[in-house]
Amino acid sequence: MSNSMAIELPPIDDLLHEPARLRLLVFLSVVKRTDFTYLLKLSGMSKGNLSVQMNKLGDAEMVRIDKSFQGNRPRTMYELTTQGRKALRAYKKNMETILAALPG
Amino acid sequence: MLREMGGIENRVYRAYWNDGLLDVFAAVGVLLIGIAWTFDFVVGGAITPALLVPIWGPFRQRFIEPRLGMVEFSEKRERTNRGRLLLVILLGIGAFALVVSLYVLRDRLALDPAVSVIAGLPALLLAIPAALTAMLVSTSRFLVYAALLIIAGGVGAISGLEPGPILVSAGVPILLIASTVLLRFLRNNPVANEDFE
Repeated sequence: MSNSMAIELPPIDDLLHEPARLRLLVFLSVVKRTDFTYLLKLSGMSKGNLSVQMNKLGDAEMVRIDKSFQGNRPRTMYELTTQGRKALRAYKKNMETILAALPG
Repeated sequence: MLREMGGIENRVYRAYWNDGLLDVFAAVGVLLIGIAWTFDFVVGGAITPALLVPIWGPFRQRFIEPRLGMVEFSEKRERTNRGRLLLVILLGIGAFALVVSLYVLRDRLALDPAVSVIAGLPALLLAIPAALTAMLVSTSRFLVYAALLIIAGGVGAISGLEPGPILVSAGVPILLIASTVLLRFLRNNPVANEDFE
């Protein structure tokens, strides 16, 4: 049943609207690409949490994940995809619209 | 897009240079130039940068990246850095060539009254690339190194010291600061691994 009184607000992407993931996407948006360790240092997150959040972003194709080895050490590189960049831009625009409507 | 992120990009960039390895290389460079000059091996000072620059990358890869991680910055940042780096290198080479020429030709140029001033010039001129490096890597530590070089150059020249000891006297405190920064980084950042995955 539709409610004719419902006021539409710009859509907010739940995947991005989570503080840890948003922080990671912001870091990725200002660099070309970076590895797991650097993101770990920048975010201050635990390894497990970082891995879970990056995998979620990877599954949604917001982030390209490239696993390789450097010597005998595993190295995972992350890069924001075009889709991720567009989603971040849309998120910013929609949040600005919503926040601008707030009084005071 | 996301112009407001400039501040975050700067912080991410600064974090990349906070390990102290570049500082140690700069200090070793100043010391080697000073030691070479002390033993009248001025050419040794000239080739010091050529010896240090190629080994900085492998050192960083071996000792810093396993602890700090690896990042590639945006094309815009890379372009800006290439321009600044070229400026630093050209100014460094130019300054050094000027100083070596003045020092070698000081008798022929009959610059006796100014010889003591010339003795302080290498340190003073090395302060220019140090200050530019501060801009290049967005860290104020290199401004401190530039200040130390200027102080050593000024005080050394007034005291009648030769260029070599002046550079060594600037290089020692720079090395102490740089080593402290590097050791603190190594202590606070053990080698990270991803093998939990």
